[in-house]
Amino acid sequence: MAETRGGGGGGCCPPMDLMRSEPMQLVQVIVPMESAHLTVSYLGDLGLVQFKDLNSEKSPFQRTYAAQIKRCGEMARKIRFFKDQMSKAGVSPKLILDKDVDIDLDDVESKLGELEAELVEINANNDKLQRSYNELVEYKLVLEKAGEFFASAHRSATAQQSEIESQQVGEDVLETPLLQEEKSVDSTKQVKLGFLTGLVPREKSMVFERILFRATRGNIFIRQSVIEESVVDPNSGEKAEKNVFVVFYSGERAKSKILKICEAFGANRYPFSEELGRQAQMMTTVSGRLAELKTTISAGLDHRKILLETIGDKFEQWNLKVRKEKAIYHTLNMLSLDVTKKCLVGEGWSPLFAAPEIQEALQRAAVDSNSQVGSIFQVLRTKEMPPTFFRTNKFTTAFQEIVDAYGVAKYQEANPTVFTIVTFPFLFAVMFGDWGHGICLLLATMYLILREKTLSSQKLGDIMEMAFGGRYVILMMSLFSIYTGLIYNEFFSIPYPLFAPSAYECRDASCSEATTIGLIKTRDTYPFGVDPVWHGTRSELPFLNSLKMKMSILLGVAQMNLGIIMSFLNAKFFKSAVNVWFQFVPQMIFLNCLFGYLSVLIIIKWCTGSQADLYHVMIYMFLSPMDDLGENQLFPNQKTVQLTFLFLALVSVPWMLLPKPFILKKQHEARHQGQSYAQLDETDESLQVETNGGSHGHEEEFEFSEIFVHQLIHTIEFVLGAVSNTASYLRLWALSLAHSELSSVFYEKVLLMALGFNNIFILIVGLLVFIFATVGVLLVMETLSAFLHALRLHWVEYQNKFYEGDGYKFAPFTFTLVGNEDE
Amino acid sequence: MAFLVTSLIFAVVGIIASVFTRICFNQGPSTNLLHFTLVITATVCCWLMWAIVYIAQMKPLIVPILSEVE
Repeated sequence: MAETRGGGGGGCCPPMDLMRSEPMQLVQVIVPMESAHLTVSYLGDLGLVQFKDLNSEKSPFQRTYAAQIKRCGEMARKIRFFKDQMSKAGVSPKLILDKDVDIDLDDVESKLGELEAELVEINANNDKLQRSYNELVEYKLVLEKAGEFFASAHRSATAQQSEIESQQVGEDVLETPLLQEEKSVDSTKQVKLGFLTGLVPREKSMVFERILFRATRGNIFIRQSVIEESVVDPNSGEKAEKNVFVVFYSGERAKSKILKICEAFGANRYPFSEELGRQAQMMTTVSGRLAELKTTISAGLDHRKILLETIGDKFEQWNLKVRKEKAIYHTLNMLSLDVTKKCLVGEGWSPLFAAPEIQEALQRAAVDSNSQVGSIFQVLRTKEMPPTFFRTNKFTTAFQEIVDAYGVAKYQEANPTVFTIVTFPFLFAVMFGDWGHGICLLLATMYLILREKTLSSQKLGDIMEMAFGGRYVILMMSLFSIYTGLIYNEFFSIPYPLFAPSAYECRDASCSEATTIGLIKTRDTYPFGVDPVWHGTRSELPFLNSLKMKMSILLGVAQMNLGIIMSFLNAKFFKSAVNVWFQFVPQMIFLNCLFGYLSVLIIIKWCTGSQADLYHVMIYMFLSPMDDLGENQLFPNQKTVQLTFLFLALVSVPWMLLPKPFILKKQHEARHQGQSYAQLDETDESLQVETNGGSHGHEEEFEFSEIFVHQLIHTIEFVLGAVSNTASYLRLWALSLAHSELSSVFYEKVLLMALGFNNIFILIVGLLVFIFATVGVLLVMETLSAFLHALRLHWVEYQNKFYEGDGYKFAPFTFTLVGNEDE
Repeated sequence: MAFLVTSLIFAVVGIIASVFTRICFNQGPSTNLLHFTLVITATVCCWLMWAIVYIAQMKPLIVPILSEVE
């Protein structure tokens, strides 16, 4: 059944693109091992085969090409590493200019390995150098700050020395100046003091001091000095605020305790000598080494940059190649290995029209891989449902996606997209109707369309991506909005008598009754759209509401009838007479006897100008159909007509409920006559048949109760839905009213008020507020709102008349997707 | 009368548009009905909307009552 469905649209009219899925077939390809890789590669370029996974029971490690995939995975990891490094260094990969350069995978692998090793080495070296550099910077700071301590202490010590010179203090005075500041020197106790210098992080400095104090029982002296700028810590590589400290201690035990505490706090220690001469020497050495290291580091970074740029040149190429190879091996894993014949067997779905192209690709692969045997291509018969494939161009793709979002069409059922391309923007426009706003939308979407080529290659944000993808939808929406705006006669809510003067005039020359009884219609009806006189009148809303509600009902009944006709087209295509006579006909009768009749009444009332109350007519048609209509009579014999329609509607309900299940049961019995005795044989045979021959049991089962309940639900849904769906179309009125009211509020209360003040500043402010309000509320929010409601009307009220939407989409193996995904 | 004339204009525009698309978009198989269907649907929708609004104003039951001018 899969490939014999190319019967055309029921034979009534020539075939239409996009109406039904392309006819698909299940094909089997047998390729010799040596040409397998090239075959899959060429088929991937073609992009028209969806491979079935024949090895689904096997785990990923049991499959034939698991090793190759691991290889590709390694290479992908290296490529990701390069990308990381490049983005950190600010190098961007060059975009591919030529796509046809053929590079060997082994080549790529070895190159990647080399480059990775080199890059890792450079990175490690750079890290080491950077670390030494940071340590030296810290050392330099220690030298400076500690030098300052000693220098200042020295100065004050010499000052004190001159004071207490007469006191004959011990000779160690000049060497221990700091102590002189704090306490008087005991000449008997000449303790050997040691000191340590280093850096400690600022947030830990207080705790550090306190712990040192406690650990050594107060027998140390510590001085800290703040470093203003933050220093890069050699261990962590990050900037930190640090203090320079000097700790004076006495005794070995104190020294070891202090060392341990320094380590615990991560305080780096640096050697410092007391003598001034050595200090200066260390300073110059350190400065010299710093300068050296700086040049070395910058040379290292340059080298790295050059390396990364070399990588960047080839990056995209390699990336694509690795991804492609991975995809090819994944696909190869789906083919089953026919060990006896040393070849791979693959099955897949492909469209009928692609068969010659596939065969050509197979031949080319066989030739290019110098294999002895060619590949075999054959078509399989199966009862499985094929995937659905529509050939869409850049215009129809967006509409097809909108329909697919609700459900992918079943194979070969009528595609709602065909009419949705026009009715969706049209219903949007009915709710949006303002030709000024329509022009704004048109300008916005023309910008997107004219810059199509540049924008499609860029990476846009999420919202821009959606807007760009839907640019043709928005184009249609804006064109129809301009049309409906002209009909509603609204340009930013201002009407213009564009086509003829208004049809209404005052009753007499003095216009005395204009505000009480109103104007009268003297000239011909305004030829195109709503008469411009209505805007701002007191009876504007009753008139427009009545007009728009009735218009919504008429449009709704028209679209629902279209939906039922689509179900008729489906029934004819699948050659199901039972669906035509016992579903389509009663549905048409039911809908049109009730709501089609209402539509006709609306038109008659408009044409005759009668004052009949249509609510009353419809309700009493059901409640008391035998009553006389009196002043609600719109045409002669209305009562008889109504009785007939009521009777037909009542008859159509059991007509769509009862016959179909019984007829289906009889059909099923006729199909399986005499087969009940062959059951035993069949079950024996089915064990030997290939398991991928399709689902045998499903379609042969027939549960009558299930069918009956299904039909009951369908009937109830349709009957109750007829009322609710018709009422649902009133949202066309509701949204259009909301739009015109908002628009008129913004115009009158913002712009006109601003104009009334005669102040240029208020005018500018008012204009800005008007523009922002129009763009934000009307152009963005109302557009989205009307879009959503038009979508709902299509998905629910239109599609539930005929659409099943339980198919699955054709997802061919193709390389065009490979380039875009971000692993 | 005016109604019929304008409806005729809509029909003529529709036919011209479908001929136009047949000439311009002849790349697909020559019996591709999609463009024709789209044009006809668009014409029908537009005509429907115009006709509804026109007929509704032919014999009005409500007349415009001007609001007080301040």
